[in-house]
Amino acid sequence: MSTIPEALYTELEELPPNRWQRCSAACKRFLAQPLNAFSSGLTVALLLLALLAPVLAPYPYDKIDPANGLQAPSLEHLMGTDQAGRDIFSRVLYGARTSLSIGIVTVLFGLIVGVFIGAVSGYVGSFVDEIIMRIVEIFMSIPGIVMALALVSVLGPSPPFIVLALSIRRITQFARVARAAVLSAKVEDYVTACRAVGMSDLRIVFRHILPNCAGPIIVLATVLLGNVILIESTLSFLGMGIQEPTPSWGTMIAKGNEYLTFAPWISMFPGVFLFLTMIAFNLLGDGLRDHIDPRGGSVV
Amino acid sequence: MLSTVILRRVLFSIPTLLGVATLAFILGHLSPGDPAIAAMGLDLEGQSYVDPDELNRVRQELGLDQPLLTQYLHWLGKAVQGDFGRSYVSTSQVSELVFEALPTTLLLLFTTMSTAAVVGISLGILSAVFRGRAGDYIARMIAIIGVSTPTFWFALVLMLLFAYVFPIFPMTGSIAEHGLQAMVLPTLAIALHPAALIARMTRSSMLEVLSHDMVRTATAKGLSKWRVFMVHVLRNALNPVITVIGFQFANLMGGAVAVEFIFSLPGLGSLLIEGIYEKDILIIQGAVLVIGVTFALSNLIVDVLYMLIDPRIRL
Repeated sequence: MSTIPEALYTELEELPPNRWQRCSAACKRFLAQPLNAFSSGLTVALLLLALLAPVLAPYPYDKIDPANGLQAPSLEHLMGTDQAGRDIFSRVLYGARTSLSIGIVTVLFGLIVGVFIGAVSGYVGSFVDEIIMRIVEIFMSIPGIVMALALVSVLGPSPPFIVLALSIRRITQFARVARAAVLSAKVEDYVTACRAVGMSDLRIVFRHILPNCAGPIIVLATVLLGNVILIESTLSFLGMGIQEPTPSWGTMIAKGNEYLTFAPWISMFPGVFLFLTMIAFNLLGDGLRDHIDPRGGSVV
Repeated sequence: MLSTVILRRVLFSIPTLLGVATLAFILGHLSPGDPAIAAMGLDLEGQSYVDPDELNRVRQELGLDQPLLTQYLHWLGKAVQGDFGRSYVSTSQVSELVFEALPTTLLLLFTTMSTAAVVGISLGILSAVFRGRAGDYIARMIAIIGVSTPTFWFALVLMLLFAYVFPIFPMTGSIAEHGLQAMVLPTLAIALHPAALIARMTRSSMLEVLSHDMVRTATAKGLSKWRVFMVHVLRNALNPVITVIGFQFANLMGGAVAVEFIFSLPGLGSLLIEGIYEKDILIIQGAVLVIGVTFALSNLIVDVLYMLIDPRIRL
């Protein structure tokens, strides 16, 4: 390899910013909004709490200590203890792990399958589109929680089935958004250009159209992450989600329900964390939506 | 012309309804247990003690020896007539249980929707009128908190505050026991989320209409600011809001399931959860079917209303 001539080298330095530079500039602009900085910070904090739960938790999440049951919050037990004497704070931290991991896996699964279905539906069009969208509409007719409850009750409340039951509705939601985005993109000039140079349909959809439609899909994924965590905790609350002794906010709130009047901390603290998680993802989704598409309306 | 459009929309909803029914049927067949064993009142452990002749007789009686398609058509034919079979556990007709529970849930959805619409639209107007000022920020703050509060947890908070600390409302119980008082806390618990969504939608929709020329024209005519807002802007801004309200049904029903359970309100949600706890697949099937059909019908009504209100939609 010969060395680059100096003239060309200086010219290279004046090239427009590369992808990474553009990305970090966009991030800076996004975080300049106080509300976005707040929601991003809260999201990162929650992710860290979940990741570092084994380090941060003062007690093992399943350490039973009946002598110290139903204790009010104190320095020893920051959020008190439950009926079996387990430390609520430690369980809340591990609960963040459960909720976030189920949420992320579900949304990723829904995104991959849903975007694929939606892209095919939108790009192929005609009767394929008609049939797929009918099926999507049927699934949308049954409230997510009802569908998930019914499926989990039939299949059994183990994590893979919970993810599957929660994903079905996400698949339809991603499919709708991806389809709409592909429909509006496929009449653009760059797609015609791709066709003119003889690219295959698959390549056009996955290498060119979808990256251009990433905005609404990312926004939807953020909003749905909060949504899935909420539904998972509702399932767990009703006893059809994560099973004891694995800590889950929903199960903790359900257990606390029995002691609501004299030990409200059992259900209130997990609830506060659930609420903070929802706030973080909702605000983040809002911020991203305004940032990516300032004109846009709601995607869900 | 309008009637043909509406007729077309009605016909279009038939495949959806059929699909919902099919989904409910498949759900029943996903269940790992043998329905004949369940119908005999035995669980999976009891299976090995069953007399095979007796089992075959029950299978024949329930039509379980027929091909799946025949079973499906038979089941569909009965379901259309409102016959969802006999509950395995309580041995009463599932349709009776479902239609006994339906009024409570419908009333709950109605009170919730009205509360959410009134509160949400008012907050949204407040936000739009005071755009960028304190009132706007407070209204938007309430909206974002409302969207983020988990319904079932909020129900517990309300119960703790207004049934225990300040015993104003009954803690649990049906309308038969406490009258309409029993509906207040459940309604508030479910209404928070849709109210917040409606507020956000009203705000953004009103702000969009505000940028139209007709607003300038109305102001130029010398109309008061109040009149421009309430008559000209609001009327044009309400269409997307109505759509959002209509499509809230699924969310509401989702919230209602947990809230009915928490407040022991004997509605569809409580029935569904009881069915799930007792592994009574026919009750689950019936509840899912009725909820799905109600939702599809409410979508239909929203679409038709939309066509009647906004002439531009008549595609």
